[in-house]
Amino acid sequence: MRFSLPSSLSLGLVALLSLTGCGFSGSSAGSKQAADTDQRIVVDNFRAPVANWALESDAAYILSLSGCLETLTRYDESQGKIVPSLATEWKQASPLEWDFTIREGVKFQDGSALTAGAVAGSLQHVLGAAVPARAFNPKVVSGVKAIDDRTVRVTTPTESPLVPYRLASVNTGVLAPAAFKGETVDPFGHCTGPFEAVSEKPKQSLTLDRNEEYWGGEVQLAGAEIRFITDGAARAAQVQTGEADVSLSIPVSGLAALEADSNVKVLKADSPRTATLYMNNGKAPFDDVDFRKAVRSALDLDALASSVYEGAAVAASGPFAPSEPWAIEGAEAPKKDVEAAKKLLASAGYTADRPLEIVAIVERAEFADVATVIQDNLKAVGVPVKIQTKEYAAVEPDLLAGNYDMVLSQRNRLIDIADPIGFLTADYTCDGSYNLSHFCNEDYDATIAKAAKTADADERYRLYAEAGQILQDQAVNVWLVNEQAIDAVRADLQSHVQDPLSRYVVRAETAKSGS
Amino acid sequence: MMPFLARRAAALVAAVLLASFTVFLIPYVTPGDPVRKIIRSRVAGDVIDDSAVDALSLQLGLNDPLWTQYLRWLGRLSSGDMGLSYTSRTPVAEQVLPALWITLSLVVLALGAAAAISVILGVTAALQEGRPADKAITAVTQAFIALPEYWLAPLFVLVFALQLSLLPSAGWEGPHSAVLPVAVLALRPTSYFTSAVREGVLEALSAEHVAAARSRGLSHLQTVWKHVIPNGLLPLTTLVAVWFAGLLGGSVIVEVIFAIPGMGRLLFDGVLNSDIPLAQGAVVVVVGLAVLLTTAADLVHGLLNPQIRMSHA
Repeated sequence: MRFSLPSSLSLGLVALLSLTGCGFSGSSAGSKQAADTDQRIVVDNFRAPVANWALESDAAYILSLSGCLETLTRYDESQGKIVPSLATEWKQASPLEWDFTIREGVKFQDGSALTAGAVAGSLQHVLGAAVPARAFNPKVVSGVKAIDDRTVRVTTPTESPLVPYRLASVNTGVLAPAAFKGETVDPFGHCTGPFEAVSEKPKQSLTLDRNEEYWGGEVQLAGAEIRFITDGAARAAQVQTGEADVSLSIPVSGLAALEADSNVKVLKADSPRTATLYMNNGKAPFDDVDFRKAVRSALDLDALASSVYEGAAVAASGPFAPSEPWAIEGAEAPKKDVEAAKKLLASAGYTADRPLEIVAIVERAEFADVATVIQDNLKAVGVPVKIQTKEYAAVEPDLLAGNYDMVLSQRNRLIDIADPIGFLTADYTCDGSYNLSHFCNEDYDATIAKAAKTADADERYRLYAEAGQILQDQAVNVWLVNEQAIDAVRADLQSHVQDPLSRYVVRAETAKSGS
Repeated sequence: MMPFLARRAAALVAAVLLASFTVFLIPYVTPGDPVRKIIRSRVAGDVIDDSAVDALSLQLGLNDPLWTQYLRWLGRLSSGDMGLSYTSRTPVAEQVLPALWITLSLVVLALGAAAAISVILGVTAALQEGRPADKAITAVTQAFIALPEYWLAPLFVLVFALQLSLLPSAGWEGPHSAVLPVAVLALRPTSYFTSAVREGVLEALSAEHVAAARSRGLSHLQTVWKHVIPNGLLPLTTLVAVWFAGLLGGSVIVEVIFAIPGMGRLLFDGVLNSDIPLAQGAVVVVVGLAVLLTTAADLVHGLLNPQIRMSHA
C-alpha cells in the first residue's frame, strides 16, 4: 500500500493539461538517428530510497532499475522464464540444495572480482536482516555458502523449485564485500551493472555514470539521473517538457495529454495487479456461493473499466491477467446479467435485512468511484450497500479478523518473486497469512501444494490456472479490472523496453540520439 | 525587557515539549499498527510477517512503555541527538538541516517578494482610497486569497513550464527551480499583507500626529514618507513573522507538487510513515523557530511602537 497524493491534487494539473490539449512542437518523434554515447538520461521514479540503501528494502528496486544492481538470475518478461545474469547456470543438487555457478570475468565497480565468496557474503547480509526481504528470508532460505570459487549453494528448509526465481528478486542483488564494511550498506561503486552510482541528493536524485568495464558489453549512455518524484502529475509533466526522458507509473488521469504529444511515447503493459472486490466468505450472506455469484453477475465490469479507469484497465476474467502464462485458458470477463443475479439471490435465500458495507481504501483514490458504481449495480438487483472510506492501516485488523462484508483492494501478485505462488498461498489457502476472503477449499490447497513442488514451469503454471479456476468457480471474490502499468518515454529514447514491475529501466543497450 | 524574554523562553520550552509529545502520540492514537506502517514505508506490500513486526519492535525499542520512549528521545535531544529515522535509518539531524535550509530559502524569498509587492500595492491603495486603483488592487488581492496552492501550482506549471518552457516543472536544481514555488507561496501572503498595509496606512493617515505634521508645513509627500508609511507598516512585521512560522511547516503542498525536499515534505513523510524521530525532529525545529520568530517580531514591534514597549515593561 503506497500513499499517493489526493486525487484532487493530481487531477488539478492533469485536468488543466487535458483542457488545453497541451503539447509543443519539437524534433520529430521516433527518430532513427544514431545513438550518441555522450548522452545522459533522466528517469522520474515514483519512490525514493529508504532504509539507507539496505538491499532487503525497496531501495533495491532503485538500484536495479538504474542499472547498478544485478542479481544471479533475472526474469525475462518476453520469454516468461528465468535467465542467467551473474550466474551462468544452476541446478538442484539435492532436494534442499541449489547450486549456482558464478559467471567468470565479472568485476565489481571497485575493481574486486565477483567470486562465490563475495556473492555468498552479500546474500547472507540480506538473509540476516532484522526486517527480511519477502523473497529471501529465513522462512524460505535456510543458508547460503560458497562451496568453491565459482559455486554458491543455497539451502532451503523445504524442497522448493522456486529458488532461481528468488535469486531474480532485486532484494538479492549482489554488492562487493566493501559495501558491507560500514554500519550501513554502501552501493556506491560496489555494483556490477552497466551503471555506477556516483552521487546522491537525499530525497531528490541518484546520479550514475557508465561502467566502462561492464561485463555485459558496451554501455550506450554516458550516465543517468534517477529523480524521486512522488507526485504522478509532476512526473507526467516532466516527460512532456523534456526534463525527463522516462517517467514511470503515469496516473490514468495524465494519459490524454501525453498521448496527444508527438514527442512522447506512452507505454502500457498488463500489470500483475487486479482491482478486486474482496468478499468475506466466512460471513453471511457471503458464505453462500450463490450469493457471491449473484454479486458477480450484478456488476458491469466493462463499464467500470471504461468509466472509472478511463480505458487504462480491462475487465478482469479472473484472478490473473490474460497475458500471464498461468492465465485461465479461454476465460472471459463476466458479463452483467441482472436476471441471473436475481435468480441467484433467490436461490441463496437472500433477504435484504441489512445494508452491506463496502470499504474503499483511501490510498487508492479511484476506489471511492468504483464503490459507487458497485453500490449502484447492486441496488439494481435489490442488494442495499453503504460505502465506508478508510485508511488501509485502520481497516487491516478487521479484514484479517473477518469483521467486514466487502473491501476494495488490489494486490501485486508478483511482489516477492516472478511467480504467483506467494500470492496464491498467502491470499487463498486455508492457512494463508493474508487470506482476506477467509476462503478455505481442500482442492485448492492441494493444487497449490502440488504446484509449490513442481519444478517444470509449464506444469506449475497449468496448476496455477487450475487453482485460479477453482477461485473463479467458487466466486471467492469479484476480480474487477486488470490494471495496466503505464510509463511514458521521450520519442528519441532508443532500445527502451518497458518492465511492468519497474525493475529494469536503464540498461546497457538503452540509448538516446544526439540532439 | 528581561521578564518578557524569560516568559518567551519558557513558552519556547513548553511549546517544543507539547508539540513533540503530540507528534510522538500521533502514530499511537491514529488507526493502525505503527510498526506495520514503518515496515510498509520500507517495503511495499500488504503481507507483513509477524516475526518482522516483532524484530523491528525490538530493534527500535517500540515495545517499551510510551513514556519511556518519549523520555529516551528527550534525553537524547538534550545532548543534540535527534536519533535515527525509522524509515531511512539516517540521522534525523542530517535530514532536518538541509530540509530546513531549503524551506528557509523558499520562505524568505516568498515573504520578501510578498512584503515588497504588498508595500507598493497597499500604500498605493490607501493613498487612492475609493478610487479605481484602490478598487482594482483590493479586488485582485482578495481573489488571490481564495486561490489555494494546490490549484495555483499546477496552473503555473502548465503556463510557465509546459506552454512557455521558461521554467522547470519540478525539482530543486538551482535558482531557476525556485521561481515557480516561490511565486505560488508568495501570492496569498501578498494579498493579506496588502490588505494590512492598506489598513495601516489609512489608520496612520487619520492620526493626530500626521495632521500635526501637515500643519507644521510638511508637504503631503514628506508627511506620507516620514509619518504615515513607517506607522502604516507596523502590522506587517507581525504578519510576516506569523506567516514565516506557518510556512516553515505549512509549505507541504507546494513542496510535494514541485518535488522539493523541504521541511513540510519531511514532516509529512514522518507522520505518514510513523517515522516518529523524523516527525519529532522536524516539529522541534519548526516550533522552536516559530516561537523565536514571533518573539523577534514582538521585539521589533515594540521598538517601533513605544506604547507596546511600555505595556511589556
